[in-house]
Amino acid sequence: MTDKDTRPDAADVVVLPCSGLDKEAGSASRELALRLQERGAALVCPVLYQRSPKRYEKPLSSGRLVVIDGCKTGCASKLAAERGLKLTDRLNVSEAARSRGVKPGKDPHLGAALEELLPSMVDELLEVRAPEDRAAAASELFAAPVEYREFGVDKFVFRVPVAGYFFNENDCWARVAGGRARVGVSDYVQQSASDMVFFEPPAVGAEVSIFDEVGSLETTKTALDIISPVSGKVVAVNAEVVEAPELINQDPYERGWAVELELTDFDSDRELLMDSAAYFEYLQGKAAREHEELYGG
Amino acid sequence: MSDQTFMGVPRKDIPWCPEIDYSKCDFCMECDEFCPHGVFERRDDEERKLVVAHPENCVVFCRACGKTCDPDALTFPDKKETTELIKRLREEEAGGDG
Repeated sequence: MTDKDTRPDAADVVVLPCSGLDKEAGSASRELALRLQERGAALVCPVLYQRSPKRYEKPLSSGRLVVIDGCKTGCASKLAAERGLKLTDRLNVSEAARSRGVKPGKDPHLGAALEELLPSMVDELLEVRAPEDRAAAASELFAAPVEYREFGVDKFVFRVPVAGYFFNENDCWARVAGGRARVGVSDYVQQSASDMVFFEPPAVGAEVSIFDEVGSLETTKTALDIISPVSGKVVAVNAEVVEAPELINQDPYERGWAVELELTDFDSDRELLMDSAAYFEYLQGKAAREHEELYGG
Repeated sequence: MSDQTFMGVPRKDIPWCPEIDYSKCDFCMECDEFCPHGVFERRDDEERKLVVAHPENCVVFCRACGKTCDPDALTFPDKKETTELIKRLREEEAGGDG
């Protein structure tokens, strides 16, 4: 505790952890939440929150929400998503432990090896990210206004840019300019997946090949990976979308971009992509098919 | 779904789907609950209570169900090999018999 004063505190943090009784990673999640509380965070008991959500209205409306899942079942994340809560950060204890060389056990008691990792997980959760890591560089490359075409299927209207965007069949786009690309998900994805509540960005500096995951999104309905249409190096992630994932719903092709890449092999990548016009046609077919499957025509 | 294509290639020619490692799977069914495409099927009366019954429904390059699997029982084909296969099949398609 000697360095207590130099570390960031958690006064503005609200923690929603796993309930902590199913296995060891759950216990660690609960213990992490308590340690954050010692640093000033407000706690949300997941069981009580389900029963009496009003009790937590005040802290949830004012603090930044951190969710701690014990395992990949992600009960705390699912609870947050079901309630439409916007996350600012998330930690999965099992994954964090495995990345540190410890495999949590099935016995729900917290063992010494995992307990030893907790201080570093607290630091990870409270880490103040350097603004330059997430700054959008070279934004003037992508400042040109975008024109759209749209089509309707039943009550849904889908927009696709007229030009300048390239798409894969995973409904992710790349807007390419000056050796760089911004990558995001299409209007179709944001409408199908519903309200975005969390964007987990990739690390700035990561090398990405075409069709690699380049971040993931969590919505009130589901979770999905952003499958990169291009190869390159991540040079920026959209800090606005990290803060406000709903921007993807509001403006999926412009302000809702997810990451910016320095392209490494676009000539080759392009052969595997659809341009805006081809995607428009492709999406019309796909949306009609899905509508027919869901509603029978 | 048999006439579906992915990137111009018949979907049935692209072997992309999760594989269940039954030595790890605890049949929690999280993956099946998560997947909206009906890739998995439950077999309550069998020893293997979950199977990949409809691999062709799996979205190529999607691995999202794997993130729901706490025992890490789901694996996917190599992405680069799959990309290369798709490229080769596209070239064959474009080149006809030649």
